[in-house]
Amino acid sequence: MSYQILGNDYFRKDGIGKVTGREVYASDVTLPRMWHARVLRSPHAHARIKSIDARAAQELGAVVLTYADVPHLKYNERIVSIPPHLYRDRTVLADKARHVGEAVAAVAAPTEQLAEKALRALQVEWEILPHYTDPLAAQRADAEPIHDSYILNGQEIPVENNVAVTRVVQVGDIEEGFAQADHIFEREFVTSRIYHAQMETKSCVCDPAPDGSITVYPTTQSIHNVRQLLGEIFSIPLHKVNVKRVAIGGTFGSSIQMNSIIPICVALALKAKRPVKLVSTREEDMYDHVRYQTKLKLKIGVTREGKITAGHMQALADIGGHNIQAYALLSVLAGWTASLYNYPNLKFEGKAVYTNKTPSCALQGFGNPQATFAAESLMDEIATELDWDPIEFKLKNYVGLGGTFWGQGPSVQSIVRSDGVPQLLHDGAQKIGWRARPKPGTQTGRYRHGIGMARGFHTSGAGAPKPGEVIDYSGAFIKINEDGSVDIVHAMMDHGGGTLEAIAKIVAEELGVPIERVGISPADTLTTVYDVVTHATRGVYAGGGAAHKAAVKVKQQIFDYASRILGLQADSLMIEPDYELMQGVIYCPNFPERRITLGALAKQLQVNSWGTLAAVESLRQVNCPPAYVTYFIDLTVDTETGQVTTNRAAIGSDCGTVVNPAMAIGQLEGGLSKGMGYALVEDNQWDAQTGQLTSKGFWIDGKTPAISEAPFVENIITHFANTYEPSGPFGAKGIGEAATNPCAAAYANALYNALDIRFTELPITAEKILSALAAQDERASRASDYLENKVVAVMQAAE
Amino acid sequence: MNPKLVTLSVNHRTHHVALNPNTTLLSALRDLGYTDVKSGCEKGDCGACTVLVNGIAVNACLQLAWLAEGQDILTVAGLGSSDQPHPLQTAFADFGAAQCGFCTPGMIMSAKALLDERPQPTEAEMRKALSGNLCRCTGYARIFEAIEHAAKQLNVDSRG
Ligand code: FES
Ligand code: FES
Repeated sequence: MSYQILGNDYFRKDGIGKVTGREVYASDVTLPRMWHARVLRSPHAHARIKSIDARAAQELGAVVLTYADVPHLKYNERIVSIPPHLYRDRTVLADKARHVGEAVAAVAAPTEQLAEKALRALQVEWEILPHYTDPLAAQRADAEPIHDSYILNGQEIPVENNVAVTRVVQVGDIEEGFAQADHIFEREFVTSRIYHAQMETKSCVCDPAPDGSITVYPTTQSIHNVRQLLGEIFSIPLHKVNVKRVAIGGTFGSSIQMNSIIPICVALALKAKRPVKLVSTREEDMYDHVRYQTKLKLKIGVTREGKITAGHMQALADIGGHNIQAYALLSVLAGWTASLYNYPNLKFEGKAVYTNKTPSCALQGFGNPQATFAAESLMDEIATELDWDPIEFKLKNYVGLGGTFWGQGPSVQSIVRSDGVPQLLHDGAQKIGWRARPKPGTQTGRYRHGIGMARGFHTSGAGAPKPGEVIDYSGAFIKINEDGSVDIVHAMMDHGGGTLEAIAKIVAEELGVPIERVGISPADTLTTVYDVVTHATRGVYAGGGAAHKAAVKVKQQIFDYASRILGLQADSLMIEPDYELMQGVIYCPNFPERRITLGALAKQLQVNSWGTLAAVESLRQVNCPPAYVTYFIDLTVDTETGQVTTNRAAIGSDCGTVVNPAMAIGQLEGGLSKGMGYALVEDNQWDAQTGQLTSKGFWIDGKTPAISEAPFVENIITHFANTYEPSGPFGAKGIGEAATNPCAAAYANALYNALDIRFTELPITAEKILSALAAQDERASRASDYLENKVVAVMQAAE
Repeated sequence: MNPKLVTLSVNHRTHHVALNPNTTLLSALRDLGYTDVKSGCEKGDCGACTVLVNGIAVNACLQLAWLAEGQDILTVAGLGSSDQPHPLQTAFADFGAAQCGFCTPGMIMSAKALLDERPQPTEAEMRKALSGNLCRCTGYARIFEAIEHAAKQLNVDSRG
């Protein structure tokens, strides 16, 4: 398929603003009369507030809020799940601290300095409670409850043993399935609790107006969901809540939910009756969100012929002090597992447990990096044990064309209609030199070389034929201006990956207008129709799909009106960009002289008072196509230091039609960096004694990869599958989150290839590598001692 | 201690401001409207706040504003503008070295300090000069490329 605009790289519309520092993020918004806010956060992991004395702070001229001053409505911050699945367990400020860093009071004052002073003047009397950093300890019968109850679908539900939610998903009968197996493999995998480490800390500005309305500039992935939640919490009708889209300095899932500081900022502004700005410190941010830590026990049965007969996964998730989306997490852990390989019989048993740590939420891939690490490691091991090439073994068992893909747990399923996996695996293997990889256990010497492979995917959106447990649709408003230029009014957020850019291209392609004449309007909730949120790799597929639907409508109007003016049948008309005129030109191939530019047409409509060429459309995609990704990693291990060097990586992506080639490559490279961090270094460790981060909020101690360890660009090979997704706009599907999902398993498999050791716990740090090597040495020397003794014994016997 | 009147020269413009002794250069600059200088941690961890002080890249969050009195401060907004971008800025935009863009101002200023000193930096020199600038979006690959390209551009410009 050839396109006028898609697949070409253009100077990015928001590029110049970013490189000259003119882009505006939430913390850059400054308004007249604005005050500054600070939040009092618990130093204790679990403590009840007995009293807060705010007099000294108020005497300093500050506005102060405590639990007593805010609405007591319990809310769940991620209203992506439908109401029956929203676990409501938090309030604007907490009545009890459930983790270090929990917000218990807040102040606003004319300057940041005064706000800080007022904050320090607050006197809190605490009643310290026992706390739990380990989900097993939290479940003990005598454990102090972290939450007594939560609200689900209007009902108050008591919490037992600090278990937030459980979920069982079954397909077929695993007992039968395992009975059919000739081999059964089982391992337990442990994944780490990493921090999103987005560059911008969560920030918000709220501007209240005398008529009771508010305008909010938050760090968010969804302006509409923030609006609805604020309206509900503060009982403000939605037409009086306007949430503005500002640029976001990275997010990686940490702002799918309404950030906890947003309602605090709003409450302060309402009380102070003036604009208030609240910017989290890095330390506060590190106590606000992390990736779900999981323990995954995976058991797979296979026949002699290498066919999977059954799978069983038992998952334990440590969710921290609040349940942001644990139910959805368990659903997707089951779903990703079911979609990686064909299990005729599958059982998933998941349990999510409260602990006194930072609340967990989605982090690029939402449960997928965890599930894929387990499945891809174990499948590599099974293939090796059964003497299969892992590529062949996986191709024999994966869910591909015609299979059922679970895009967001059991309720979001659709049939796979485009599949580039065989091509990606074939190309990746060639590029990395798969056939020439070493044989495990054959290397000696200080430096050992290994090549590993893993595959995976992410969903493109959470759409499906049936309404699911998650909301998934987008809306777009498109209008043609009187000079032929185009405005796209779309509520979607762009996290920097080029989502809005891609949407502009899709519209330009459909309307036949040069991309330079397609603008993306600033957006707020008053002037846009609903878009759920930029997550689940749905930006291009679902957000772009909605814009495409509106563009098709506008195009029909263009042809209808042009047919009147040109005196030709509407169906005979075409529109194409003319780069000299910088316009779309409407013409009929049979009568080339009868043509009109889009600008002239729109102007004529205005002069004749016929109206504006415009359409607004909402779209729910009824599919959730997998965006497949393959990873090949070539690395060297220094067995004296445990250091791992990435020599080369080959990353393959099946994103259907590639809309933004350069940006797609950028997504894959960024995915490698984050995936490598997850595999090898990143870990947010908690001190069990205090419930505090051992990094004490120092960012680099959480080990975000720096440029020093980044692979050089020439050593990252990216390649794309030649596929077309029939349900996507111009054949496109997603890419973003897929880019990291299989990375950790590819590293683990490459380490196995180099060292003959299986690593099942993330991150695979230098220390872990060294101790595994030492254990391997010991085993070897014990074995050789044994052999030697045996030889001696045999010789003695012979004598 | 009381505030004192400090003269700051930012992007060749002079400001007289009353500043507390404990005000960092970062907050002084942002309060003056130089919001192109980003705050990522205020602890010297991330490099988002990097500016040039007399040509040397510093973390503005670790520098007290009083100590910048009389020095030449350059921020990314002073390096170039939308109609006259600096080659580093053009290269960062063209090569996709800026995704969310929050690290970009600091990253570009560290790169500028590097290229001023080493017009043709090696890979190791780039890694060293930028090791204090975190970026979570790009994986750094495009940043290497952008700097290499800008270096070539600047060398051509200075010869031509
Ligand atoms: S804000 Fe200065 S180094 Fe992070
Ligand atoms: S572009 Fe987002 S942190 Fe660098």
